[in-house]
Amino acid sequence: MTMNAAPSRKDPVFELRDVSFSYGSNEVIHQVSLGVAAGEVVGLIGDNGAGKSTLLKLFAGFQIPTQGTLAIDGMPVKFRSPAAARSLGVEAVYQDLAIIEQLSIWRNFYLGKELVKKLGPFRFLDKAAMRNGCIEALQLLGLTRIRSVDGPAWAMSGGERQSLAITRAMSLGARILLLDEPTAALSVRQTRNVLDSIQRAASAGLGVLYIDHNMDHVAPVADRVVVLDHGRIIVELTGDDINAKHLGDLVAERREELSAE
Amino acid sequence: MVLARLARQREFGPSVGLIGVVLIAQLSTGHFFSSQSLTGLTTIADTVAIVAIGVTLLMISGEFDLSVGQVYAFVPIIWSTLFVVHKWDPWLALIVALGAAVLVGLVNGWVVTKFGIPSFIVTLGMYFVIQGTNNLLIGGHQLVAFDFKHPTLTAFGARIGHTPFSAGIIWLMGLTFLGWYALEKTRYGNWNFATGGGVGPAKAMGVPVARVKKANFVVCSVLAGISGCIQFAYLKGVSQAQGDKYELLAITAAVLGGTSLFGGSGTVVGSVIGAFLLASIEVGLVLMGAPGSFYITFIGVVLVLVVILNVKLGRLTTSGRR
Repeated sequence: MTMNAAPSRKDPVFELRDVSFSYGSNEVIHQVSLGVAAGEVVGLIGDNGAGKSTLLKLFAGFQIPTQGTLAIDGMPVKFRSPAAARSLGVEAVYQDLAIIEQLSIWRNFYLGKELVKKLGPFRFLDKAAMRNGCIEALQLLGLTRIRSVDGPAWAMSGGERQSLAITRAMSLGARILLLDEPTAALSVRQTRNVLDSIQRAASAGLGVLYIDHNMDHVAPVADRVVVLDHGRIIVELTGDDINAKHLGDLVAERREELSAE
Repeated sequence: MVLARLARQREFGPSVGLIGVVLIAQLSTGHFFSSQSLTGLTTIADTVAIVAIGVTLLMISGEFDLSVGQVYAFVPIIWSTLFVVHKWDPWLALIVALGAAVLVGLVNGWVVTKFGIPSFIVTLGMYFVIQGTNNLLIGGHQLVAFDFKHPTLTAFGARIGHTPFSAGIIWLMGLTFLGWYALEKTRYGNWNFATGGGVGPAKAMGVPVARVKKANFVVCSVLAGISGCIQFAYLKGVSQAQGDKYELLAITAAVLGGTSLFGGSGTVVGSVIGAFLLASIEVGLVLMGAPGSFYITFIGVVLVLVVILNVKLGRLTTSGRR
């Protein structure tokens, strides 16, 4: 992606403006401003407890900011639920919450956005259309190992689940994709597949926010990397600056500055 | 292969069981299919099955309702108290009585989803609350309407022509269809499976899990109420003992029919077959001359055996299911 000179200074599709969030009296996010533009992959990294998950929940509508605003296309919005966020094109893929194992693959694929057909006053699930849509998505992903979309999702590997969830978000009309450590606990090959899915999503014009604790994971696909530390953004890197060594130095430097203040 | 595909259906196991029990009962007694035993069989199976439909929908979303047996008596008690004792119009009385069932379901669902308490406890509490209320309303008496004639009683309990069957079986067919339609053909059905399959992921995908559960509790109570009214209209009377153990029989029917105790899977048709299996065992044992209430011992053994079998076979046969 970096090779295509992805537009890093385009207007963000989706942004947080001076957002803070507290659990009770404990403020865990401090005045964070962060936007994601169409076709851009933004890596958000930080240690455990840096506030990554909370930030993701704010983006996805699981939590409402205590201060600051969210904006889509420059217009302030308020999400009261994950469903509200989804209806505005914000799709999140969670590490543990991507898939319901007992449900068939096609039911998982369209969960919450089921296709229906009308027959007089009755509304039916359009199972044929959903099965076909799901089969097409699997073929696009090259997940040919899956023999039937009617089978339960527990037959899928971790990488397949993440790839499927990313593709699901794309084909269901998402504009912004939030990814929570999508390559955690995956083999190298599976990781490659997931990264391909992410690039495919960005090429299709989606804005991607890729959250991880490890720079090495996000570096191959990110156009911009933002480092979160104790609920603040402390470093932002673009283009050639995105590499782990450089980042380590910057983070150490910045931490010293902060502690000196 | 057709047989292999058939064997993968959830309803396959209980169907085989039902056919087996019916065959044994018929071969050993010779009059399982007599008009009298068919009447006995269907009047037991109808009412348990209708309660089990609601219980199945609820269990798929990962919750239980132990109060349905009491609601099964509560609704006809209110209904008949109003139109027999207080001379209300039976239609109006019926609406009020079913309204009470809706209220019970709403309270169950609200407490479970609002406070996150296990439904086992919440509905056990409701069981006692309604049992006490039933006792207050009719005490140890029976409320009868032997000489009463009204379209509502005909609709719930009349015998169908010269057949051995009564209106309950029509209700059962209609409600089975509705339950099957809701579960298999609507978005609600998909959400219900998702809610029981994994509350976390379902929520993340925007499924209104609390609303799904509340709806299920209401449906569960209302179906128990309707079933109780069918029983009342058939017998032309109700006592406090009506619905004794029904909450457990409904769960048993659902489990025999292949519904998971942990939520996420099950079928309406399977539970209806499960209810017929229970009723066939009861009628079969009576025909064979077993003491009246011995069947419950037998059912206890069958229930545990079936669950053991399900656990053993589960992983082998679940591929290809939802």
